[in-house]
Amino acid sequence: MAIVNALLVKKHLGVKVCVVTDTHSYDYNIEMLGSEVIDKAIDDLVIINKDRKFKNTNTKVYRDTSSTEKSLSFYNLDRADAYDLSPYDETILLDADYLVMSDTLDKCWNSKHPLMMNYSWQDVNTQRQFELDRLSDTSVTMYWATVVYFRKEPYAEYFFELCKHIRENINYFRGLYRWHGGIYRNDYVFSMAAHQIGGLRDRGVDELPFTLYKTFDYDDVHKAVSESEIILYLEKHDAPGEFLLSRWKDLDLHVMNKWALNRISSDMMEHLS
Amino acid sequence: MSEKLTKALEFANYRSTLNNQRSILKARVESLLSYSIDGGTFTIDPGLISFVKLLKDSGQESAVLLDIYKNPIMVNLEEFFDEILSRYIESTNEYYAEYGKLVKSRSVKSLLDLDDE
Repeated sequence: MAIVNALLVKKHLGVKVCVVTDTHSYDYNIEMLGSEVIDKAIDDLVIINKDRKFKNTNTKVYRDTSSTEKSLSFYNLDRADAYDLSPYDETILLDADYLVMSDTLDKCWNSKHPLMMNYSWQDVNTQRQFELDRLSDTSVTMYWATVVYFRKEPYAEYFFELCKHIRENINYFRGLYRWHGGIYRNDYVFSMAAHQIGGLRDRGVDELPFTLYKTFDYDDVHKAVSESEIILYLEKHDAPGEFLLSRWKDLDLHVMNKWALNRISSDMMEHLS
Repeated sequence: MSEKLTKALEFANYRSTLNNQRSILKARVESLLSYSIDGGTFTIDPGLISFVKLLKDSGQESAVLLDIYKNPIMVNLEEFFDEILSRYIESTNEYYAEYGKLVKSRSVKSLLDLDDE
């Protein structure tokens, strides 16, 4: 899916793409898609070594709608290194499951703010409400590390240094910020770093100049109509297992159901070829 | 299940889909009405358009405007006005056309333009 998204970025934004991955994932993609496609999608490649112990212990439940769930490894340790790893002066750091279906991200370039990320967000199913506003009831506002803009300036550099410091002392910060549960989440780490860099002020980092739209892993994707349009199945808020059909067009979207993304990836590739 | 109840449930489903599609359309238009220039981002609305026109008509060539973050951004009024006005007209016309299509649709299939799917 990262390759499809890299091609979507090239199509809609026309900027260089750097992919951070490990040797195993890179080799698998070369084998599945061929080096020509990979070379077309990726301008800069950063290969990292995974921390095996972390990989085996940090697991989370992934859903393919509410009918299927699996507990799998959640490898997300390196996001705090993004500032050091990015070869660019200005970077938009994206999750591979954030589908770029418009030129909205272009609004970030040359911003007055050296670092931006969202705490406000919108569910595509407007009738559904998830409580995801804080790390816990008595903690700070939760930022989403899904999309982060940063420019190579001291402010952004300090922010990522704080992220690394929190990562290395995670149990201390888990207690300090009353973060429940054992899973390591970048959303939480970035939220704590935002609170610290803002001078211990809630919502201390500015938001991106657009709304972060999300579907959840309870939802599914029916079809990729084009490189900027998909049809979704959104689980009804009052009837789990039943869906609302929805057409999504010309806006970027965070799709949390990874299996759904894999099912449409070949169609999306065709639209992009 | 009676025929009447089946129809009522179908209608409820249609209304839910319509409401959601309306919200999605609104989100798209809001995105179109957001304009970024020189590191600032502006929400294009009648207030901004009128204010920029007022500044332009008072004989000024450029002015400092506050963007959505309240950052001061220096803009060339002539170019800025032309850009926001054309974006506003284009976006609201698209909204009008798409909204019209939605409210005329009487089934989930037509709401989502699924006839050929």
